[in-house]
Amino acid sequence: MQLDDIKRLAELARIDMSEEEMNSLVKDFDSILAYVGQVQEVSKLYNIETLHENPDNYFLKNVMREDVVLNKEGEYKEKILANAPDTENGYLKVKQIM
Amino acid sequence: MIIDLKNLTIEKAHNHFKNGDFTVRELVDEYLKVIKEKNPTINAYLEIYNDIDQQVEKAEKIFKDGTATLLTGIPIALKDIILFEGHIASASSKILENYVATYDSFVVKKYKDEGVVFLGRTNMDEFAMGSSTETSAYGVTRNPYDTSRVPGGSSGGSAAALASDMALASLGTETCGSVRQPSSFCGLVGLRTTYGSVSRSGVIPMGSSLDQIGPMGKNVNDTEILFNAMVGYDAMDSTSIKDESRAIQKTPIKRRIAVPRSFLNSGGVDSEVLKNFEESCEKLKKLGYEVVDVDLPVLKYSLAVYYIIMPAEVSSNLARFDGIRYGFSSKEKNLLDVYKNSRGKGFGREARRRILLGTYILSHGYYDAYYNTALKVRQFIKDELFNLFKDFDAFITPTAPFPPFKIGEKMDDPISMYLSDVFSAPANLADIPSISIPSGKTEAGLPLGIQFTAPFLREDILFTIGKDFEKLV
Repeated sequence: MQLDDIKRLAELARIDMSEEEMNSLVKDFDSILAYVGQVQEVSKLYNIETLHENPDNYFLKNVMREDVVLNKEGEYKEKILANAPDTENGYLKVKQIM
Repeated sequence: MIIDLKNLTIEKAHNHFKNGDFTVRELVDEYLKVIKEKNPTINAYLEIYNDIDQQVEKAEKIFKDGTATLLTGIPIALKDIILFEGHIASASSKILENYVATYDSFVVKKYKDEGVVFLGRTNMDEFAMGSSTETSAYGVTRNPYDTSRVPGGSSGGSAAALASDMALASLGTETCGSVRQPSSFCGLVGLRTTYGSVSRSGVIPMGSSLDQIGPMGKNVNDTEILFNAMVGYDAMDSTSIKDESRAIQKTPIKRRIAVPRSFLNSGGVDSEVLKNFEESCEKLKKLGYEVVDVDLPVLKYSLAVYYIIMPAEVSSNLARFDGIRYGFSSKEKNLLDVYKNSRGKGFGREARRRILLGTYILSHGYYDAYYNTALKVRQFIKDELFNLFKDFDAFITPTAPFPPFKIGEKMDDPISMYLSDVFSAPANLADIPSISIPSGKTEAGLPLGIQFTAPFLREDILFTIGKDFEKLV
């Protein structure tokens, strides 16, 4: 992990951070990735590709519903807009893009 | 009558209300007095709600109507991540400092219907990312047993409030140990609930395949009462289990408990914790349980799996904070700078670290080596435990590998902080319930806990064994 890698990740994640913090993340990431890299040992020791599905997973499946509006029109509008940093005429106001 | 807060339980309080020994108002005032005295030191609560009077009136009316339940009028502390309409829920982050909940979470709605009195919102690690409540943007919470030490985390404020008689019960949330570990650190009972048993509608998410709400109580019975009042199907959480699927055939208890020896030895366990754990095993044997060493070789990889899956989910869940719709927004000239500076200044250091880690893990070229492998090992762990439970009611470990540590001790070393949750991870990865129960104290008087983990939807096993175990501590 290099400083440039962290810079690129911060850019991708849309997070502004100081050079000092990015340098400390280089160090943190090395130790964290070494630790979590252990999972690759498991795939060497065991055949993790041929797993049976245990019945518990029966409960966890995709849940679909019709794509319809469930709330009354404007039911939450005022409360939601009250939390917004900037609004105009009942809309969220956003800075220019370019 | 003089109210003995220290020895009060939910059932006792309920009976006192019914017998007219004291009113909800009198009990709540007693707690508010303690809060005024202790909270400035402990910093368990970030805010005491301004509508307690109305909540009390509602509870007293329910009693007058004769429709009171065990939870009516019970003063409860709410973790600052669970939405309560009209009140701030900040996830102890600067980015949500002034965020006012626009609706009630499923759990709050259920508890409100029973006339629970929510006293206030409690401090936590920012976005529940931590094991000590030190990453909060609003200062550390102190352990009531030793104020130079942490209360655990992330639900440390909820634990500290309950342990110092600033509430009669607490609600927390868990992604990996965030209810059980602070419960252990503060001498309480804490339950991580089966994935899908309690709706997360209205809970600010961290790792959505792992997050669950969990109750904290002074004993197993209180925890069971709190749990029974929060379960149920909810269409607003797509992972909520349908009521008919909950009515599974429950195999009778086998009175057999497994000790995963190699996992235990891999955890870097403190010697006092280990000694206490062995004593707990002996107690269980005295109670007539068969306690058997087993070999679960993959369990020791749980925390590594967790620290891949969780940051991956964090990086996508926290993408919603953009400085546009709610929360902190940095004033900038263009949209990209609004994003970058709102997130850069709004999130704390640990949140920023985990978002970047998740971004890395999910990025092209590393996805297979980390995320995809972790998903497969997660399934492997689930299978390993599924097979174990054919012969055993539960497996046990200490809740945490060490007693409450000093404030600041682990803040500069993320791995050592993450290891707090080494024994917590299997339950969250395998979607199964797990409970921490006080098991004694260190020589210095710091609380220790033992953790029981049971099969899917079998909280009943944890309550049965837990009530047995409690008698001997």
